[in-house]
Amino acid sequence: MISIHNISKVFNAGRPNEVTAVGGVSLDVRMEQTTILKGPSGSGKTTLLGLIGCMARPSAGRIFLKQREITSLPERFLTDIRRTTFGFIFQQCNLIKGITALENVMLPAYPTGEKFSTLRGRAQATLAMLGVEKRAEAKIEWLSGGEAQRVAVARALINNPAVIIADEPTAHLDTKLSLEFIGIMRELKSRGTTIIIASHDPIICESWLAEQVVELRDGRIVAGATMS
Amino acid sequence: MAHMIERHRHIIDFTLATLLRRKGKNGGLLLVYTLIIFVLASVLFFTEAIRREAMLVLQESPEIIVQRTQAGRYQTVPMSWCAGIGSINGVGSAQPRLWGYHYDRTRLANYTFMVPAQDPPGAGHVDLGGAVARMLGAATGDTVAFQGHDGAPRAFTVRKVLEQESQLLTADLVLISEQDYRLFSGVPADQATDLVLQVRNPREYATIVEKITRMHHDARPILRSEILRTYDAVFSWRSGLMLVIFSAATLAFLIFAWDKATGLSAEERAEIGILKAVGWDTSDILLLKFWEGTAISLTAFLAGTILAYLHVFHTSASLFAPVLKGWSTLYPSFRLPPLLDFQQVVTLFILTVVPYTITTIVPSWRAATIDPDAVMR
Repeated sequence: MISIHNISKVFNAGRPNEVTAVGGVSLDVRMEQTTILKGPSGSGKTTLLGLIGCMARPSAGRIFLKQREITSLPERFLTDIRRTTFGFIFQQCNLIKGITALENVMLPAYPTGEKFSTLRGRAQATLAMLGVEKRAEAKIEWLSGGEAQRVAVARALINNPAVIIADEPTAHLDTKLSLEFIGIMRELKSRGTTIIIASHDPIICESWLAEQVVELRDGRIVAGATMS
Repeated sequence: MAHMIERHRHIIDFTLATLLRRKGKNGGLLLVYTLIIFVLASVLFFTEAIRREAMLVLQESPEIIVQRTQAGRYQTVPMSWCAGIGSINGVGSAQPRLWGYHYDRTRLANYTFMVPAQDPPGAGHVDLGGAVARMLGAATGDTVAFQGHDGAPRAFTVRKVLEQESQLLTADLVLISEQDYRLFSGVPADQATDLVLQVRNPREYATIVEKITRMHHDARPILRSEILRTYDAVFSWRSGLMLVIFSAATLAFLIFAWDKATGLSAEERAEIGILKAVGWDTSDILLLKFWEGTAISLTAFLAGTILAYLHVFHTSASLFAPVLKGWSTLYPSFRLPPLLDFQQVVTLFILTVVPYTITTIVPSWRAATIDPDAVMR
């Protein structure tokens, strides 16, 4: 379980443009389930996802991953957790242009020093699982929106993470592709992957995927949070 | 260990892919960088080679040379001076020298004819300097002809082609026997071009010079230290010009490095954020940037240094020559002998590759130590 205790994130602290993106949020994310963070733009969904995924440190509060407090861990441990526990799917896909889909998928595993042939084989298998194996050697800029989204999912899966974190994954997808994305998430969930999605897209929020829906507004939870 | 090697391999692979996907930018960067290194290395190689040539020339020069002037013009020296000057206390020996210039109208070239003190060629034979041999297309055993002072052509057999450490000393040289020289140049048997003196005690130079001028009012003694001063003035002036070029290139390099150090593009920053978000550590990012900087700077360093070497030693610094080498306007031309000073190359490496690599890493380090979500925002 990922347990969040009263965390806050303040940007530009002490300056005139100080913003409290997340203020005193407490939440339990159950493993092997899907949690949806729902709310309008600026409600703090992306910031909360970043905090859960160790991409940023909270200004206050604590986060526990399997009963271990991770908030105060040094940078290199956070990186290790990010690499081994979480797989990220970003709103803009955030794939690196100029290199192939396959190289993009392998990217998170480069620092692990895994043997190239093993890594390449796993990346190809992941792309095949998502139905884009034929586009493995294509450069990112040549892919359609749906293909790029699948490559981004494949990249998130390459290190076999226990938790998938997705930020507005359907924001730039049409209905058909959004439904395809939900299908992929269902497949992952059936394999025991924990999924956390930040979205205000009704296709996601109202789908059967949503086991726990947490509603945020102005950086605070207004509905749906459970705490152990 | 295998993991570490594999990690480096992956990161180097990605570095090369990164460099290739920004071909235009990196190609331009490489070109400018290579050009700067080329100029810096050319300046270093050229000044060092010229300095070495000057040193070799001076090593060969006698302590005192005695010439004769009439109305401010050089004249030949009577052989009878030898005995008188040689008898001055402190003078070890006074030897006459026979040498002079010859203008080859057909090839528009100047040669220096000289009767060597040791091992002169026999009558009807000459030794040729490298550049003269090249110009005449002559090798050992061939016959060459020069037009004498009386207009009559004189043929000589080439005894050998001179291969010396310094081309400045020998490039345009024709060594000839005394008998042939006098016939060729018309210098009478009782005259010499100048006298060279060997003096054991340097503190006696001034006294000896004074005695010579008192003995012969039209004598003009020249000390090695005076030649040294002249060379020094000439080379200092040339070094000064080189310093200007060097400074301009260094300034260009500093601007270039500063531009690199002051920031990353939004795209580069976003990429660092993505890499961190997907599990790259700060050290992985720094390694990537290190390899990126090293690949560019090493390529530019090697290309620039090799081009500079070829420029200075194979084209005789053709780009600098018109301003810097007086003798570049003379013909036959000579080439600076190849000389690569390891210390110079190391200095150049430290001055160019190291700062560039650091300036590549510093902004990346700044971006890589921030939370990934902040870099990506």
